[in-house]
Amino acid sequence: MGESSDATVPTIFPKSSPTELLGLLVLLNGHKGSEDVARLADDLDLEIDEIFPSLEYAELLQLVKVTDGRASFTELGQKLVAGSIRERKSILREQLRRTTLFKTIVRALESAPNHQLSDEDLAQIVSLTTAPADEAVQNIVNWGRYAELFRYDAEAHRLILSKPAASSRSGSGRTPPTTGATPPGPPGSARKSNPPPPETRGAGVVPAAA
Amino acid sequence: MALIRVEHVDKSFASRHGSIAIMQDITFEVKDSDFLAIVGPSGCGKSTLLRLIQGLDRPTAGAISFRGQPVAGVCTQMAMVFQSFALYPWLTVSQNVAFGLEALEWPKEKIGSQVERYISVTGLDGFQEAYPRELSGGMRQRVGLARALAVEPAVLLMDEPFSALDALTAESLREEILQLWRDPALPPEAVILVTHNIEEAIQLADRVIVLSRRPGHVLETIDVDLPRPRDRKSGPFYDLTDRIYSLITQGGAPLPPPSGADGRSAS
Repeated sequence: MGESSDATVPTIFPKSSPTELLGLLVLLNGHKGSEDVARLADDLDLEIDEIFPSLEYAELLQLVKVTDGRASFTELGQKLVAGSIRERKSILREQLRRTTLFKTIVRALESAPNHQLSDEDLAQIVSLTTAPADEAVQNIVNWGRYAELFRYDAEAHRLILSKPAASSRSGSGRTPPTTGATPPGPPGSARKSNPPPPETRGAGVVPAAA
Repeated sequence: MALIRVEHVDKSFASRHGSIAIMQDITFEVKDSDFLAIVGPSGCGKSTLLRLIQGLDRPTAGAISFRGQPVAGVCTQMAMVFQSFALYPWLTVSQNVAFGLEALEWPKEKIGSQVERYISVTGLDGFQEAYPRELSGGMRQRVGLARALAVEPAVLLMDEPFSALDALTAESLREEILQLWRDPALPPEAVILVTHNIEEAIQLADRVIVLSRRPGHVLETIDVDLPRPRDRKSGPFYDLTDRIYSLITQGGAPLPPPSGADGRSAS
């Protein structure tokens, strides 16, 4: 629907909150990590379309795979639910950083004057030209704050780039700090856990008739 | 020694029509590392009971003790999480979490690190400077939780903490409460959860106390001996739900009133 197919423009925005998405993962974990999507929804007396936004985003973040209407954890999703609240958050953060959407926003913040952007700038940058832009902006801001990619001044409606963690280390080290630059990906075995950036895959996240 | 002992507690309130009994002869114990749920129909005094336990209100008769000492005045070893979150809208997330510590007169230099710790433990990093209105319901309740845990209570009292949240958010927070409770490095030791949601009680608790309709008394205490995470669609889970539901709907006959004054039941 009017969305660009250019791979550098983000086309998928979070439509649920981090806590809702975590709730879906917890729910799936209660079903031993694999369950029919309709039954998952039914478990909480919800309609499928009420869990769909979280499911879609969980799939984008490569935590869940949906095949033939059945949701299953990826290895990373399994690792996430096995972790503490803090560990879960850091996995979400790493995954979020790798999405086209948040890469685009961080790049824009890095190049912007004072490393700041307004709500309107954000809406433009991510091509939010259609109707409920407010809600989309709010969700994006919510996730970005959650992942500590940027801070947000709600009075001024401005996103402010978070300082890279490296700046707090002021040692005389000769080796340049490794943080702050694009991370090589989540730690762990490169063989298993480094799939390509999420949005390069097809847009059809879940079979519509699930 | 029991962590908390509630013995033969009555509570009634005076009204123009005489005294109204809210609960009668409530007796139970909370042990170290208990996860206790209290369920019952609305008006059975569940929330009042929590207030009595924390010492925010006094029983009309009976006794409540914490680690062998009578609860007299607000017990600082317990902290409450509310359905409505009860955050100060003019304070930031950090300031809200610090609030309880300041009230307890923690030294200023320790408050900062304590706040940081519990913001991090509850997954609120990144929202330190936010005001409650900028947060989703789930994040707000995390602030309520961080504020309660920051004082390192032995007992966490939760009054319908998930009922104002959407289903997925509630699912996430329920599981996080279990995580925190099970982590020996973190408070609380014990949790008392008040809820009208029977499935929620069975999903979380080791024991469920079922209260009758007003005046509330203990109909039964049910052990939930199912491995976690608990499958709501499993047979044993369903049986427990069914049993508690029948207790509440049929077994709710009030005790004979001690005097003629009470009588006006909830429905």
